[in-house]
Amino acid sequence: MHIPDGILPLGLTLGGWVAAGGLTAISLNRIAAQPDPRAALPRASMMTAAFFAASLIHIPIPPTSVHLMLSGLMGAMLGWYAIPAILIGLAFQAVMFGHGGLTTLGVNGVILGLPALAAFGLMRSMGHFAHPVMRALVSFATGAGAVLLAVALFTTVLLAGLPAHLDAVTERAAIMALAIAHLPLALAEGMIVAAVLTFLRRTSPEMIIAR
Amino acid sequence: MSVMSVRVIVLSACAKPLIAGLAMLLLAGPAFAHGALVDVAEVDAIRIQARYDTGEVMGNAQVAVFPPDDPAQPWLVGQTDATGHFVFTPDDRAGRWAIQVREAGHGAISYVEVGADGTTTITQGSAGLTWAQRLLMIACVFWGAIGTALYFRRPRPAKAA
Repeated sequence: MHIPDGILPLGLTLGGWVAAGGLTAISLNRIAAQPDPRAALPRASMMTAAFFAASLIHIPIPPTSVHLMLSGLMGAMLGWYAIPAILIGLAFQAVMFGHGGLTTLGVNGVILGLPALAAFGLMRSMGHFAHPVMRALVSFATGAGAVLLAVALFTTVLLAGLPAHLDAVTERAAIMALAIAHLPLALAEGMIVAAVLTFLRRTSPEMIIAR
Repeated sequence: MSVMSVRVIVLSACAKPLIAGLAMLLLAGPAFAHGALVDVAEVDAIRIQARYDTGEVMGNAQVAVFPPDDPAQPWLVGQTDATGHFVFTPDDRAGRWAIQVREAGHGAISYVEVGADGTTTITQGSAGLTWAQRLLMIACVFWGAIGTALYFRRPRPAKAA
């Protein structure tokens, strides 16, 4: 779910940077407005490291393979901190692993950052159920929904930026096959988010921002 | 008149295939008269193999080859085979040829520098991790582990009664 350099036209690449810049500015403003903005920095750093490493965990889903995204978990645990954390993680993934690219950092940040913010909003508005099963279901929906939203954004951006020389039918079929291959990942990430948040609610509830 | 007419009609019906056969022989004559020749020669070609970093080959991925003097307009487009291979022979333009392979929004670019004398130098788009990168990653993992341990061992504020 990382778009590399040289795939998108210039307009979409620049648009991605503008959108990511706007998201970052809003996020930093919200972070600065908190009583102690530095209090969540260790947690944000730890989650950035987890996000950075997660792209190395590949799950084979024939005929392709997908990797963990963790956008939902980032949003639920970091809130507004998720945007700078995801951008930093993406930058390191591009430089260290060659996943994604530096020119497409903005558009990739939006593809993974918006679902994180959606997860944050969902958890904040619906994560207060008293019944643990309902809370787990909301957590599952947060993780799975974030993956599905990221796949929808990824697919939309790619289809909007297909170059003229490409065989559009073949590329569309490949993009749709990749999108379908992410459905099991949505289930897996839903279960990961439900398990992690259930565990943290019992042991360290202060670690969840959007509780 | 009526008998004559009938004869003419019959003659015409018999003459049609005859005329058609003659016409075919005349019109199709060159095809029968000349054979086809195929010249076979050895040329230097560029072969690529596209793979994901997981090792999985990019079979039937789309390939675009960009010439040195027009990096925006592909000179050749095609697809890799089932094993991720694609072979092409650049023309006599010297300079840096770019080969882009993409599949479902994922892809990479490699470059081939073709000299004026026909010599080629290949520049891989993604040549894997260097030792410096690996060392930096190991250092980052250690530092992250230390930071995580310190985070969980931090003094916590006493809970209000």
